[in-house]
Amino acid sequence: MNSLSVTRRYHFSAGHRLENAALSAEENARIYGPCYRQHGHNYHLEVTVAGPLDFATGMSVDLGEVDATVRTALLDRVDHYDLSHAVPELADVVTTGENLARVFWGWLAPALPAGSLRRVAVIETDNNAFEYCGDDAEGNP
Amino acid sequence: MGTVYATRKFKFSAAHRYWRNEWTAEENARVFGHLTVVHGHNYELEVTVRGQVDERTGMVMDLGELKRLVGDLVVARFDHADLNRDVLFAAGSVPTTENLVRAIWELLAPKVGAERLHRVRLWEDPTFYAEYFGS
Repeated sequence: MNSLSVTRRYHFSAGHRLENAALSAEENARIYGPCYRQHGHNYHLEVTVAGPLDFATGMSVDLGEVDATVRTALLDRVDHYDLSHAVPELADVVTTGENLARVFWGWLAPALPAGSLRRVAVIETDNNAFEYCGDDAEGNP
Repeated sequence: MGTVYATRKFKFSAAHRYWRNEWTAEENARVFGHLTVVHGHNYELEVTVRGQVDERTGMVMDLGELKRLVGDLVVARFDHADLNRDVLFAAGSVPTTENLVRAIWELLAPKVGAERLHRVRLWEDPTFYAEYFGS
């Protein structure tokens, strides 16, 4: 009833390329086009968390805690790194926006208060955004 | 795994006016105000597709394909065009943001796939958008 969600926006800069090691160079180039080349982005990250509204503080979530968690569980692992080659947890992941959104959910959900994470959005460029709201069985809209 | 939503943004500039031929000038002016005068906007269009991620490619949809579809079906049609002269509106339907966002959905859904197309959001200017999720 009094659950309220808040969204916080972060950014990080990272290198990457889209490549599936199981595919040939020709196939990777065909599927991913220019994204097959090594490049990078100033990513924006939106994290939406929800909690019961505390009428004493007027807040539903301690944003300071969220900031600290996102910093240590996520930003410190990716900011100014090459996502495709220098982040061990992403070694087997094609670093598309879709996959990053799902992987980041997996990093953040256990680190934040249980059940509070509602949405992770990875904004790769001004033109591309990717959103994940968890497993469909967990109430993904 | 759950559904992932991927959004791509497009831009086009077009002219329009709000006017109903069967109304008097006074009635048009009363309902639409200064929107009866031909003017234009830099529209921003956000197209969201949804689906399970293809585990081979890591993608919901080839965004290059989406760019081509929206480019051919929407941007090429409406960019630097007079919306009132488009066949969609020439018969009298008013090219409001609401009507245009529904028209864009109808243009895209057969090609993108109604099950894959999740949302079309159309910004008329930086302060106003209309969005449509299909019927």
